Amino acid sequence: MSSPVIALKDVALTLEGNAGPVKILRGITLDVARGETLGLVGPSGSGKSSLLMLMGGLETATSGSVTALGQDLTAMGEDALARFRRTHMGVVFQSFHLIPTMTAIENVATPLELAGDPRAFERAAAELEGVGLGARLDHYPAQLSGGEQQRVALARAVVGEPAILLADEPTGNLDGATGEAIIRLLFGLRDRHGATLVLVTHAPEVASRCDRVIRLRDGVLERYAEAAE
Amino acid sequence: MTLPIALRLALRELRGGLAGFRIFLACLALGVAAIAAVGSVRMAIEEGLSREAASILGGDAQIEFTYRFADQAERDWMAEKATEISGLVDFRSMAAFADGSGETQRALVQVKAVDGAYPLYGRVELAGGGSLAAALATRDGLPGLVAQRILIDRFGLERGDVLRLGTQDFRLSDELLVEPDAAASGFGLGPRVIVLLKDLADSGLLTEGSLFDSSYRLRLPPEADLAALRDEARARFADTGLQWRDRRNGAPGLSRFVDRLGAFLVLIGLAGLAVGGVGVSAAVRAHLEGKTETIATLKTLGATGGTVFAVYLAQIGLLSLAGIALGLVLGAGAPLVAAPLIEARLPMPAAFGLYARPLAEAAAYGALTALIFSIWPLARARDIRAAELFRDLTAARRAWPAPRFVAATLALAGLLVGLATWLSGAPELALGTAGGVIGALLLLLLAAHGLRRLARRVARGRLARGRPALRWALAALGGPSGETASVVLSLGLGLSVLAGVGQIDSNLRGLITRDLPARAPAYFFVDIQNDQLEGFLETAWAEPGVTAVETAPMLRGIITRINGQPAREVAGGHWTLNGDRGVTYAATPPPGTVITEGAWWPEDYAGPPLMSFAEQEGRELGLMLGDTLTVNILGRDLTATIANFREVKFETMGINFLMTVDPAALAGAPHTHIATVYAEPEAEAPLLRDLADAYPNITAVRVREAIEKVASSLEGLGAATRWGASATLLTGLVVLVGAAAAGVRRRVFESAVLKTLGAGRGRILASFALRASLIGIAAGGVAILAGGVAGWAVMVLVMDGSFRFEPVSALAIVAGGALASLLAGLAFALGPLSARPARVLRARE
Repeated sequence: MSSPVIALKDVALTLEGNAGPVKILRGITLDVARGETLGLVGPSGSGKSSLLMLMGGLETATSGSVTALGQDLTAMGEDALARFRRTHMGVVFQSFHLIPTMTAIENVATPLELAGDPRAFERAAAELEGVGLGARLDHYPAQLSGGEQQRVALARAVVGEPAILLADEPTGNLDGATGEAIIRLLFGLRDRHGATLVLVTHAPEVASRCDRVIRLRDGVLERYAEAAE
Repeated sequence: MTLPIALRLALRELRGGLAGFRIFLACLALGVAAIAAVGSVRMAIEEGLSREAASILGGDAQIEFTYRFADQAERDWMAEKATEISGLVDFRSMAAFADGSGETQRALVQVKAVDGAYPLYGRVELAGGGSLAAALATRDGLPGLVAQRILIDRFGLERGDVLRLGTQDFRLSDELLVEPDAAASGFGLGPRVIVLLKDLADSGLLTEGSLFDSSYRLRLPPEADLAALRDEARARFADTGLQWRDRRNGAPGLSRFVDRLGAFLVLIGLAGLAVGGVGVSAAVRAHLEGKTETIATLKTLGATGGTVFAVYLAQIGLLSLAGIALGLVLGAGAPLVAAPLIEARLPMPAAFGLYARPLAEAAAYGALTALIFSIWPLARARDIRAAELFRDLTAARRAWPAPRFVAATLALAGLLVGLATWLSGAPELALGTAGGVIGALLLLLLAAHGLRRLARRVARGRLARGRPALRWALAALGGPSGETASVVLSLGLGLSVLAGVGQIDSNLRGLITRDLPARAPAYFFVDIQNDQLEGFLETAWAEPGVTAVETAPMLRGIITRINGQPAREVAGGHWTLNGDRGVTYAATPPPGTVITEGAWWPEDYAGPPLMSFAEQEGRELGLMLGDTLTVNILGRDLTATIANFREVKFETMGINFLMTVDPAALAGAPHTHIATVYAEPEAEAPLLRDLADAYPNITAVRVREAIEKVASSLEGLGAATRWGASATLLTGLVVLVGAAAAGVRRRVFESAVLKTLGAGRGRILASFALRASLIGIAAGGVAILAGGVAGWAVMVLVMDGSFRFEPVSALAIVAGGALASLLAGLAFALGPLSARPARVLRARE
């Protein structure tokens, strides 16, 4: 069996709150295989997003180890993590998090520019064409609908052809039809780029598209089931 | 590779508009503008003085003698070197005018008696437009005289009226508008009149021992080497009391004054820039806090901390350039626009124009200030983590940026202080200002910290119970928002500068009147001839209301050597060596003399000359008992041994001499007497009338008028300082408004929640007002302390004067600070008060 793309071993995450430490995640051990699509589900506050952020190196585990593509993320500094994400990861958020002062194409080109790609804008334009926004390249986020903004965010996440795609409730801020379109696009892009996808969602129909689904409750893995079952 | 991307990202980011940077731009532009304007005016004056140096001096070079005219050898030397010579005499005298009502009016005037060659350079301008030669010509047996407007108004003169100087009548022929060499003539106690020197021959004013300066202005060939000529004159006529000046620095006192005042104002400007720096820091912090999501997103996309730092540093850099450019345009433009106004008020020429040096200096100060105050918030922004996209981690960020950024801030601050020290030409003043600003900032940080702790404590205590408005105000002050520190710092630093300037200004105004003795003489009389002394005393004592009369023989001399060495080589530029000083003789110590060291000579002493010297000045010159001092009196050297030091208090306004010698030392030297007369105010007018009628050659200086004249000259200094401080005040207000505006969003939310909980608008407003007032009072309190210390330092350490804390000025500053804070707070409370709670709270979700 090939080595997992993402591996978490006995991971815990505790945050300091005003009323004392809050245990967000406890004893998480989990492997994600290359090319797999993994759904993370669970009630609000169960730690889904935190788990996703640990996988993306956006959050640092209090204990345990997180490795991605064979690299120990817990041993890396902020800047090393940023460089790792630049090359190997794409992240999609529920709130899109587009940079409001940049046009669609500039938003998509930014990770390529940061990686020093001289063809950043050509590739960004092609990616936006791919998500159906070829006519909206020079529009600012405020001039785009929610669905369009999320498509820009998707294009931005995949434009660097990352090995790992992380999506945190990408349809959470969208209506049903638009959300469905975005999910189709997300899975389509994943298929096209062959990336490993980890997806946080509340929607069972979205989770059902994943190869595997993991449920969290109070920061602990509850059960997981093969989506195919 | 990072920089081009950083620059691109920075430019994209700026598309969001400059709304958040208005305060940033205003603070930087105002600070730079103030420094650039002061520097430009200073440069314009220096350039004006330099361009018109020959006019100001009245010649390419000037040779001056005290008490005497040049002798034949000196005249021959001048004639050999110069292509043209103009000789003139400058002295104080009394002008008398019989106005026809039987009364004779008298006034102290500064007489310039000139020859036909005057002026060698420049032009005398008269109201009638005619030439000076025509105006001074004798008509109908009366020589001509021109006078400044002030004398004409005072006497109510008309052209053709007859004025008397000494025993000589003159005809007022015109009003003197411009005297080209006025700036180099120094401070005069009376209005200027010009007459021909030959016409004073019968006036009885220029006799042996009279107090006058004669000067000879030389027009030199273009190839003349001024330095070589000076050295030759000094060597050839060593120890004759000859004083040389040339156009390279025609008015050294004036240049020094302009330099000192310019440096002082630039340093006030720098303090203002530091106030602006607090605003810059607050604006950058607010901007970067608003960019937290963008920065976290950039980090998610792979931007390193270094890239984030570079992006926003580039952005701040571009904005700083804009702010500095705006400041330079304002600072260079304002003096140009106001040139006619400034020129009208300046007693010296100024060549207004665009000067690169002051602009470069202001730009450098601006850039360094922007950097110093931006690095900290930029370094904190660098630490924003990608995880902040979904969780508020503000509290988890480290309070201090990485050590290298702290080191960079300190290094840049050191560079700024070093630059100011080097460029200002007043190192002690610059270092003192820097120390003062840093001290005030630390004190304000402490005060802000103390206020927060105190507010937290009181908010939970009994005092706040049942007083919700007070509790909310205290809770807001003690809360984690950081608004307290930001406002206390910006307002406090601005008020500290103002309080300091206020203390200096009040002390300067009070310097003369405060240090006056309770019993000051009504008049000084000078030029009393030996044969007039007895009659003078009789006339004075005969006047009812005269309480005391003191007289002393009066000579003037220049200290040329100390222990045989040139005095300037021994004691540098001490004030006692600049020009001539009073010398008297006495057989016994005058009443009230306090000898601090040594002993007085026997009453009938007839040995080698002995001298009694002023104790403090002696100490400053490094003199000891037994040292010898050579004084040039009337062109002759007198070398005396110091027999004792005595206490001299010049501020008593009585008769005080730097040097007193034994009578035998000056036996036979022609001299006059000086007298001080103490009289009741109602006796002053008849006293002057009777003495002046009896002795027309005697000059009376009314002490009260002299004090007013000196005070009014200091008023100009105070006005310049206040102008400098007003730029600081404006910057402080901008920062204050910025801080108040920055807190609006928070207050809108607080107001909405409080309304939801049932609070009325009046109570919420009271809470906001209390909060603003408490901050204002805290900032004002520190300002009083910091301003007091700054005022003391400038008055005592820089001006060598005395300091008295001026409570009215200080309290006005605190009240003004509290009021400004209150008004800004209230102005920005109106929006939050009118916002509908539901909309605010829904928008927040």
